[in-house]
Amino acid sequence: MAHDLATRAELVKLAQALGTTPDQVAFAAKLPHTTIRRVRERAVATLYDEHKAAFRRVAAITRLLPTALNVRITLRAFSPLLAARVAGEMAPDRAAELANRMPVEYLAEACVHLDPRRAAPLVHRIRQDRVLAVITELVTRGDFITLGRLLDAATESVVRDVSATVPTEALLQIGFYAESDAQLTRAVALLPPARLRGIVRDALKGEPELRSAGLALIGRLSDDKLRGQLAEYAAEADDETLTALLRTAVDDGAVAELLVAVTTMGEQAQRRVLKLKALTEPHMAGHLVRTVEKHNLWARMAPVVALMDNDLRHRFTESTDRQTDPH
Amino acid sequence: MGGDVREELTYWLGADVRAVEGLPDEALKELRDALVAARERQAAALRTASDGALRQMPPVLRGTVSRILGR
Repeated sequence: MAHDLATRAELVKLAQALGTTPDQVAFAAKLPHTTIRRVRERAVATLYDEHKAAFRRVAAITRLLPTALNVRITLRAFSPLLAARVAGEMAPDRAAELANRMPVEYLAEACVHLDPRRAAPLVHRIRQDRVLAVITELVTRGDFITLGRLLDAATESVVRDVSATVPTEALLQIGFYAESDAQLTRAVALLPPARLRGIVRDALKGEPELRSAGLALIGRLSDDKLRGQLAEYAAEADDETLTALLRTAVDDGAVAELLVAVTTMGEQAQRRVLKLKALTEPHMAGHLVRTVEKHNLWARMAPVVALMDNDLRHRFTESTDRQTDPH
Repeated sequence: MGGDVREELTYWLGADVRAVEGLPDEALKELRDALVAARERQAAALRTASDGALRQMPPVLRGTVSRILGR
């Protein structure tokens, strides 16, 4: 069964949180993605809290030892899993002091196991060059779920540096798994126009997975101006590329995201995408109208419908009539 | 939802258990089983990691550290 993009991302994250595969949690697909997320957050909190007392005791002992000795003991005896759990119970300043002296590979592995509720205060206190090195390591490992989670803890300065160095494909994947729409929007807004254009180009020209990530990204932005900027970059692509995007949106259940993006474009870009031949294919108008109905997008879409040529507008209104006429 | 399953899911999800009540019974059982399996996997991973840590400690400290870890 195909799931919408937000549900797909949440199922992957739930599976990872429970140490299993997305297939094993497919039963949750019947829930809204916001509920899957709540289930994950509550489950993760319960899992972390179950062993909290023991790790808190270990954290208390670290207060008695000098940092250098703590680092030596940790690297010698503690796996990154244990270290992350202890770090979650330490004062963030103290945990950061240790983290600043540990190898990047060790820290990257520990990040995977860090209590998400404790990540931000700790990450904010770790030296920026270390944070960037860990991010690079996680990108190399392809651990975009952990990176998506860490985005919430990233400072503006870290986001700027990451956006300048991390490949655009990786940025798209990180965005796909980002936890907060607001933080994702803030991060995208920090990207320079050339980088944004590169992200859109790579989303459009890459594998379907990247097109899906691009659609999810544009759908999650909470700033219409920014959405319009990305959408206009996309509208510069050729017919074949835009048709592939339309088909991916249909396959992914992301037509609403696509339509909203079109409504935020300037008129010239809107006229350009309305010329796509694929829009006149049988069933396409019906598909679009159903999406407009389902997501109550008529008010947003009205100016776009007004720009359609007679043939497309006719198809659109005909499909609307068919869906609103019970006979 | 059966009483046992609901009780177990409430332990995991607290008041948010209401958000999953619309799921069919079979899905609720799958959710409960997935959560229980996650807890077992976590306990096993922490046990293995703790054993590894204890092996690195001087023998005289192992008993104390083991108690600290609640073993």
